[in-house]
Amino acid sequence: MVQLTTRERDLGAIILIALAVLGIAMAAAGRNDLLGIHGAMVLLYSLVLLFVLLSGAFGAPPSPGRLTRYYDDPIKIGVGLTLFWAIFGMFIGVWAAAQLAWPSLNFDTSWASFGRIRPAHTSGVIFGFGGNALITTSFHVVQRTSRARLADQLSPWVVLFGYNLFCLIAISGYFLGVTQSKEYAEAEWYADIWLVIVWVTYFILYVRTLARRKEPHIYVANWYYLAFIIVVAILHIVNNLAVPLSFAHAKSYTIWAGVQDSMVQWWYGHNAVAFFLTAGFLAMLYYYLPKRAERPIFSYRLSILSFWGITFFYMWAGSHHLHYTALPHWVQNLGMTFSVMLLVPSWASAGNALLTLNGAWHKVRDDATLRFIMMAAFFYGLSTFEGSFLAIRPVNSLSHYTDWTVGHVHAGALGWVAMITFGSLYTLVPAIWKRERMFSATLVEVHFWLALIGTLIYVFAMWNSGIIQGLMWRTYSPDDTLVYSFVDTLVAMYPYYIARTFGGLLFLIGAIVAAYNVWMTVRTPAAALSLDEDLPVIEHPGATPTPAE
Amino acid sequence: MPELMHKKLERSATGFMLAIIAAASVGGIVEIAPLFTIDDTVETVSDMRLYTPLELAGRDIYVREGCYACHSQMIRTLRDEVERYGPYSLAVESQYDHPMLWGSKRTGPDLARVGGKYSDFWHVAHLNNPRDVVPESNMPSYRWLGTTRLKLSDLPLALRAQRAVGVPYSDEMIENAAGDAYGQAMPDSEQSSGVTERYGEATQVSAFDAVMTNVTEMDALVAYLQVLGQLTRAAYENTAAPEQMPDPDN
Amino acid sequence: MALTHETLVEGSKMWGLFYLIGFSICVLIYTFLPSNRKRFERAEKEIFDEDDAPWK
Repeated sequence: MVQLTTRERDLGAIILIALAVLGIAMAAAGRNDLLGIHGAMVLLYSLVLLFVLLSGAFGAPPSPGRLTRYYDDPIKIGVGLTLFWAIFGMFIGVWAAAQLAWPSLNFDTSWASFGRIRPAHTSGVIFGFGGNALITTSFHVVQRTSRARLADQLSPWVVLFGYNLFCLIAISGYFLGVTQSKEYAEAEWYADIWLVIVWVTYFILYVRTLARRKEPHIYVANWYYLAFIIVVAILHIVNNLAVPLSFAHAKSYTIWAGVQDSMVQWWYGHNAVAFFLTAGFLAMLYYYLPKRAERPIFSYRLSILSFWGITFFYMWAGSHHLHYTALPHWVQNLGMTFSVMLLVPSWASAGNALLTLNGAWHKVRDDATLRFIMMAAFFYGLSTFEGSFLAIRPVNSLSHYTDWTVGHVHAGALGWVAMITFGSLYTLVPAIWKRERMFSATLVEVHFWLALIGTLIYVFAMWNSGIIQGLMWRTYSPDDTLVYSFVDTLVAMYPYYIARTFGGLLFLIGAIVAAYNVWMTVRTPAAALSLDEDLPVIEHPGATPTPAE
Repeated sequence: MPELMHKKLERSATGFMLAIIAAASVGGIVEIAPLFTIDDTVETVSDMRLYTPLELAGRDIYVREGCYACHSQMIRTLRDEVERYGPYSLAVESQYDHPMLWGSKRTGPDLARVGGKYSDFWHVAHLNNPRDVVPESNMPSYRWLGTTRLKLSDLPLALRAQRAVGVPYSDEMIENAAGDAYGQAMPDSEQSSGVTERYGEATQVSAFDAVMTNVTEMDALVAYLQVLGQLTRAAYENTAAPEQMPDPDN
Repeated sequence: MALTHETLVEGSKMWGLFYLIGFSICVLIYTFLPSNRKRFERAEKEIFDEDDAPWK
């Protein structure tokens, strides 16, 4: 199934053996440190992959005919990994949310306490679920829009499994207490270095594939994927520059201090939102939306303008995380200005998506997959508006440090990122596995409503709790003293913390339904479509509409 | 000839990628680069002291346990925050913080000036089970800190790494890091005098967790919490008034 | 010392603004250049072409 040639197998084995040796070295050097545990994990991971690789070593050599097809095997594995991380990350999220309402749910263990599982949740969802979704869909989109097969057969696997090794090391580290505390960049130095290697491989593979394209023009979705790959590399390297205690220690100290560190951190943090959670997912939008709706994008030019707008403006906006802090005032104002300006390219993208659907609303009504994509565009518009609004200094004075920020992030993460991903997966899975449609349209429908209701409960709970707490913190009595102690404001939060746990739980159940549906789609044989094995298989959703029935 | 350039850009992926970098890098450069000359504008504070090895170890535990996920260490220049938590935070106060722990969420209160606000005993009781002292609290209990020995042997390396990123620890401080950490948590030991010698008279030497048999992670964390906001008096001498936000009730 | 905080701040703000304006003009020219029209129209529709196998 994997189609690797003997040479590629050998090369893969060499890489895995080198990785195993590295794991042994880490385990030995770090035997008195948590680094040792990670060394053992690297060793185990590479040995398992080596076993899988070698177990197919003596099969028949792949036919040369494979080069006339797209290389979809890594995409199939990627779909599975995406769904695994979705369920894992969301489960940890529900658990963390529950701990805020019922603090004894860490069962008095260190590894399950809120401060440790919170980064496991954010990284599990952003990097595990989001990252795998981006890599998987980018392999699909770049091949289809370039009319070219992936440039080689080994590097996609290096990217996919290398990236998941990063996720594994990073997230297991948080449970163990290995973290550098930079939000959304908590992974320690050795995981960061590994990610750079993986990312360079990804970049080279992507550009080589683009260079093989038969279309003269690079389709706009690839622009977004490329911006995602390039800018995330820049952000990742700059933010994670650090000096470890030694090569035998997991712990390191960032080279940035105080104010500079805060600015670098939120320049990274906000642009992780921009280029990880927005650019890459807009790429999905610009491919899977027209594809699913069977309508060309409303305005291609608008997509170009908003691309450059987003690429340019976002980089300035990070300082709005630091309003009223010790960061110099002019940087705060600059961040605010650009955050407000960002609304223009953001709404241009959201509007472009919704206008594409104009005239096809009956499809949105009938097809839950398309409705996922439509709702994602809607939530994208909503959360970018909210983002610009919250970046305004006086508004931020109320919202900052409260659950309003958490609600805003989840409007984006659940409503935009997760919904566009599920919409894309429901389009991608039948196409890749040559099925006419998903196993069950009803389950897609069920998932849609679970996701939507879950998101709404979550976001409304956090809006309420955030605004209430923000107002309570600044309420003065007539004789000019603060009315509420901090604990008073915490007590007011409990009902909302319970509500948000429930909302998150609905969303998690939706993801489990999705995984089941994908599993059944893959397992159900595709009798009708593969009539003749010798011919290129006919799979063009363009000609076979797949409404929910 | 922008059109010519753009046609080329369009054709070659390389040029296109350079354009992405050109568009994306400028914002960060403009906002971050000037911050490295910020020392010109921030007055130097003479009384600023360094974290002792025990406090640094406590800070690392604070990082490890993810305390920053629920507690900020940044009092904003707003009246209600100043009245609730104390003088607003100054840039100079975190000049030796690698990384900064300003935080982004207050599920619990701000801790920038928590040092000295409660007794060591209160902190230990609170960390062992927050609900014993604050019944409404939703903070996890950190019982294992009091039973986990602090790893003293890594401290010289930690100070050396801190110096590599710019914190002015002396050779003497690095050499004595493990002993200083021990001494700070053992008031009657012979090592305890060295700590105040090297880090200043204001250094708090105390049996933080009230157990004198060994140095635990609880000692370190409480030592760190007790020094928050105490490294310099600069913020208390700062006279600029905070900003007043409109009161929703008026 | 010529490179003080103030001059650096002024310089970076001014340079940033000019950069922004220049960049926007380039993007607008590229987007609305008549000779690019065909390219974009093709791009709008290209994804609907048969995509069951790479092109020769």
